[in-house]
Amino acid sequence: MPELIITKNLDVPGIDSLAVYQQYGGYTALAKALREYQPDALVEMMKVSGLRGRGGAGFPTGLKWSFLAKNNMPRYLCCNSDESEPGTCKDRVLMERMPHRLLEGVIITSYACHVQTAFIYVRGELTRAAEQVEKAVDEAYAAGLLGSNILGSDFSLDVIVHRGAGAYICGEESALMESLEGRRGYPRLKPPFPAVVGLYGGPTVINNCETLATVPAIVAGGAEWYASFGTEKSKGTRIFCLSGQVKNPGNYELPLGVPMRTLIYDEAYGGGILGDRELKAVIPGGSSTFILGADKIDTPLDYESIAAAGSMLGSGGVIVISDETCIVGAIARMSEFYRDESCGKCTPCREGTFWMTEILERLEHGHGEMRDIDLLLDICDNVSGKSFCPLGDAATSCITSGIRLFREEFEYHVTHGHCLTGPGSKQQAHETVQAVGSR
Amino acid sequence: MISEQAKQRMRDLASRYPVARSAVMPSLHIAQLEEGYITAEGLQAVAEAINLTIDDVESIATFYTMYYQRPQGKKIIHVCTSISCYLRNCDALVEHLEQRLQIKRGETTPDGNYSLKTAECIAACSSAPALQVNGEFYEHMTNERADALIDALDQELGIERRV
Amino acid sequence: MPEEKKDELIHLTIDGMPVEVPPGTLVWAAAQQAGIEIPIYCYHPKMPPLGACRMCFVEIEKVPKPPQTSCTTPVAEGMVVHTKTEKVLKARQGTLEFLLLNHPLDCPICDKAGECDLQDFTLRHGPGKTRFDLHKRHYQKPIPVSNDVLLDRERCILCQRCTRFSSEISMDNGLVMISRGFRMEVGTAPGHAFDSVFSGNTTEICPVGALTASTYRFKARPWELKHTPGVCNNCSVGCNARIDTRVDRVTRLMSRNNDAIDDGWLCNRGRWEFGYVNNPQRLRTPLIRRNGQLSAASWDEAISYIATRLKEIKAQHGAQAIAGIGSTRTTNEEAYLFQKLLRQVLGSNNVDHQHGYFPGPRDQLTGKPWMMTNSIVDIEQASHIVLIASDPYQRQPILNLRIKKALRKGARISIINAAETELDRLATLKLTVPEGASAGVAAKIMLKQVLKNPEVDLTGHEEIRTLLQREDQVIRAGEDLFGARMTTQLQALADELVGAQGAILLYDEMATLEPGNEDLAADLQAIAVLTGQIDRPGAGVGPLFEDANSLGARDMGLLPDSLPGYQALAEPGLDYNEILSNSQVKALLVMGANPARHVADGKLSSGLELLVVQDLLLSETAQQADVVLPAVSFAEKDGSMTNVDHHVQAIHRALRPLPGARADWEILTALARYLGAEWDYTHPGDILLEIAGQNPFYAGLTWEELGAQGVRSLEEQEAAHV
Ligand SMILES: Cc1cc2nc3c(=O)[nH]c(=O)nc-3n(C[C@H](O)[C@H](O)[C@H](O)COP(=O)(O)O)c2cc1C
Ligand code: SF4
Ligand code: FES
Repeated sequence: MPELIITKNLDVPGIDSLAVYQQYGGYTALAKALREYQPDALVEMMKVSGLRGRGGAGFPTGLKWSFLAKNNMPRYLCCNSDESEPGTCKDRVLMERMPHRLLEGVIITSYACHVQTAFIYVRGELTRAAEQVEKAVDEAYAAGLLGSNILGSDFSLDVIVHRGAGAYICGEESALMESLEGRRGYPRLKPPFPAVVGLYGGPTVINNCETLATVPAIVAGGAEWYASFGTEKSKGTRIFCLSGQVKNPGNYELPLGVPMRTLIYDEAYGGGILGDRELKAVIPGGSSTFILGADKIDTPLDYESIAAAGSMLGSGGVIVISDETCIVGAIARMSEFYRDESCGKCTPCREGTFWMTEILERLEHGHGEMRDIDLLLDICDNVSGKSFCPLGDAATSCITSGIRLFREEFEYHVTHGHCLTGPGSKQQAHETVQAVGSR
Repeated sequence: MISEQAKQRMRDLASRYPVARSAVMPSLHIAQLEEGYITAEGLQAVAEAINLTIDDVESIATFYTMYYQRPQGKKIIHVCTSISCYLRNCDALVEHLEQRLQIKRGETTPDGNYSLKTAECIAACSSAPALQVNGEFYEHMTNERADALIDALDQELGIERRV
Repeated sequence: MPEEKKDELIHLTIDGMPVEVPPGTLVWAAAQQAGIEIPIYCYHPKMPPLGACRMCFVEIEKVPKPPQTSCTTPVAEGMVVHTKTEKVLKARQGTLEFLLLNHPLDCPICDKAGECDLQDFTLRHGPGKTRFDLHKRHYQKPIPVSNDVLLDRERCILCQRCTRFSSEISMDNGLVMISRGFRMEVGTAPGHAFDSVFSGNTTEICPVGALTASTYRFKARPWELKHTPGVCNNCSVGCNARIDTRVDRVTRLMSRNNDAIDDGWLCNRGRWEFGYVNNPQRLRTPLIRRNGQLSAASWDEAISYIATRLKEIKAQHGAQAIAGIGSTRTTNEEAYLFQKLLRQVLGSNNVDHQHGYFPGPRDQLTGKPWMMTNSIVDIEQASHIVLIASDPYQRQPILNLRIKKALRKGARISIINAAETELDRLATLKLTVPEGASAGVAAKIMLKQVLKNPEVDLTGHEEIRTLLQREDQVIRAGEDLFGARMTTQLQALADELVGAQGAILLYDEMATLEPGNEDLAADLQAIAVLTGQIDRPGAGVGPLFEDANSLGARDMGLLPDSLPGYQALAEPGLDYNEILSNSQVKALLVMGANPARHVADGKLSSGLELLVVQDLLLSETAQQADVVLPAVSFAEKDGSMTNVDHHVQAIHRALRPLPGARADWEILTALARYLGAEWDYTHPGDILLEIAGQNPFYAGLTWEELGAQGVRSLEEQEAAHV
């Protein structure tokens, strides 16, 4: 069992309270940071640690902090806890079970970045997570860990917990800021980047919840210690959200670079494919990333290797698809998500996701035509790289990679009107596997 | 009715943020808590508290799916139907609930007790299939667990057992 | 030198063509300048780039992820842009195909057909056919979003120009986006109307036929319309407009961008209130009262009758028995001829028009005539704007947009008004003048505070202190009425003006007529002078005039106490109220005015032996006239008008004049000749030449020079006498 960093002590009863969190060493990293480090030194520490963002793009965290514009506008920190990428369920758990670790990360980061007001943007649907974070913030204020002169230092910080209200796009950093400013969650034009002109026009750091929750451990253990985990370019550990057709789905913290096979098949983790079926495909980083075929099972789970294999590590949501599943239905389902979550600002994404979903649904229901398959690819080409923000691109990845890997299943839907494999296929119709309740 | 306390909370929020406008989302949450959905009065109250036009507030309220535009059941059931839950047969779960509650997805029971909705990924992927009842999570769902859940909710709502 | 760098041009090539533009120019605008069309929908040059419609793609060499949106990309030195590569053409086609997925095929009955960007760009850049074989989205066909504007959601391409106009330009947030994604639509809060006075602009900037004007619906096909450059006649701003006519009728007014005046916008009044031009009740023949009845007469009959009667009255009662009331909506040339007729041909100084109260033709303190000392563009550079007893939203609407532009740049807006105004919501400070108190007293309180401010240099202006001391009692009473809090706020505002980077104080011309406001104009002028807020960029003071040629009427000497160019008369004639009440007045000439509205029971003096009225319609005054002469509207004649910031602008004949009616200048010329004067003007340009020769504010102006955008002539110049 490798060493746990972010999820350490996650299962300790009562660790969501300040008292227990402190018993287990909570807020010592904050004390250390305030006592021993100048803000710039902490930025340097993050650079050395090799920590990269866990929100999706994997941008080096220390570098991001160092980009903050030096002007006299107030600076802000936004913690991105809008977790909504299909296949991703780590931030919710962190917030529900150990909100103080996140908060400690927020405070240290604010200190490092000269921020006086920080926002924790919690996805609206995650009621309990938001309540837990709000409770932690209240406790921290009462204990002098927030507010003026934190722990007797001359650093002061105000934290506001802001709840979303149902919009995937608000996980995109600039849409998140728009939403925080009380507007529709439309992404903003970049440049300027948030580090230069962000929330309320001030230089702004935006980091994912898991990224920030990692910061205290790095301060406590040291940059070199953290960098000793993982690979050359993908350092440290991250939480992989294993879901789909595996025996033991769950959140597993592992060092970056662990082979996908270990995560999916090792008894300590996935334990193999549900119903002992064959692996068909894996979506390695949430539904926005390209589907990988079963042949990629030995790819190490780090940013570079997954990219070389043709996808992205994204949000760490590893979705396992077994040979029991027809890819057409699965892709139609993912496409619906992007259609419903497109903000509507730009034409290709708004209209393209609508049209693609219509075509996928008619293929799924056996009303499609052969030319629909190439039409889908061409629509994807007109959306990808043409839309305003990456959501449009994301909507096409499962379709283009799905057709590339499993074109015959699409064609089968056209010629036969039903699935080639899985419960929707004729030969399987009588032996429908009830996945429900099979854990 | 939007209570005076609720309006006061909205005004307090408007001064809590660096810019008053930021209070529009939390204020809409408050308005919905008071009335169950976003009513004309709710829009008006939020607009007044933050000094926005009602059209402006409407525009925001309709962007975010959690602000309901019409009345909902006392218990709102959201069943996740996104990819990870799909791979764990959430569609069967939805159908089961449709039968049990005698309504289609998107509908509310005539007695106003339940609304059944499908939801997008609710961050419970590794405990799929999952659903939420008024924001509270129920994970690793089976048809049996769903039945037990509805039984418990029926009891809470004081509903006679259906035949 | 950073200073020098500013003016340096950026060099780039677009489709192989070298282009030079100032830094910060968008690639789209640079291409435009080079004559290369890049299709756009969401972008509008008056709004910040949005980049949403994804229509304006170009490929830029060395930029990694082609194609780029040219509406969001600023030029860079050495940039190489291609607008017609395969990638670009495919991406554009893709976007057009997306936009057309759900677009209905009702072009044959669409108002926009013929001037629709979706039609035009599809023709030039679009796919020839569609691959979409599913059901189109359907919505209820046009729904009213206000009384004036209808919305067809099926046609909407969601470019957001209209909603961004509402949020970013007019800042009323009345028209908004509802829902999101493919369900997104334009709309308002349920049951709430988009009742902005600026709503008409959205019908113009909508690139498709989604937003249409109720007055124009189904009235014409765009290609049948004749376009004539004109100037709106409805208020003193003088917005530039394009007058679209079809078969002797005005069908609509469209904006005609003038950055110095309207910034490309028109208010609904300007856009739609031209009904009087097309009114079937328009007068088509002169009328003479015979046996108590107004009956038709020929022009010759009418003019000779007037001339005869005028001579008789002059012989019997003297020239002082003749008076004239001119107009604030006729041209400078007409106003000029009107006073010339009275003064030089008939020998009477009894000339006036309805206007605000100003002490004398010029301000004593500065020696300047009464007008706004700043330009309209200055408003947007101000750091402080104080609106006293004025409401541009209602009265000079397009100035409200300019004030909002200043607001967006950080200006502080203070409003002193007894009534609610639209701008209150956005103002930094709103002081509601209590019942019984007046804006005039508020100005005195502020002036008193300015005098107390140690930083104010009073040298040369000591007399202001003496003058104000006499008002001390009025001020004290005012302070009691306002209360301590508001008094302090007024004083703080006065102090703020002292150090302000640039402050502009504006009051409504007509507010000066209210009791207690007699000194309003002079006191505000004094505040501006003492605080140094005059004669520099972003600073100024002055009245907001009422009508399209209110300032021109003053300039032209339609005043009892001054000749054209504000040359004071030692012996003033009767003023407006006196003309209307003095029983010595036996003959009254009225041009384009309706003074019956300003007398107690609507009845003009029974002592009048001759009342001549020139007008479009049989107004209350015309009904009492002895002779009525049918005139033509601004859309049927040439001439110049002077707007609120002293832009002299040309109006042009857009319509064939209504048969039987004549332009006021023609009527006046004919009458003068009957009275023996040798007037030989054949075009308003001739009259303008004469004005330019005498009036130091018009020195050197010629008809040709007015061009399409007018000339702001503010400096008093040595007039070269012709
Ligand atoms: C459509 C879209 C959705 C996103 N959703 C999330 C999200 O839910 N949570 C998150 O942390 N980042 C999300 N991101 C990534 C953020 O934009 C941003 O990169 C991230 O918050 C930066 O934090 P990090 O550097 O710590 O990863 C999303 C990006 C896109 C384009
Ligand atoms: S109504 Fe017109 S301007 Fe407004 S979004 Fe639609 S197409 Fe654009
Ligand atoms: S005009 Fe450039 S994206 Fe719309």
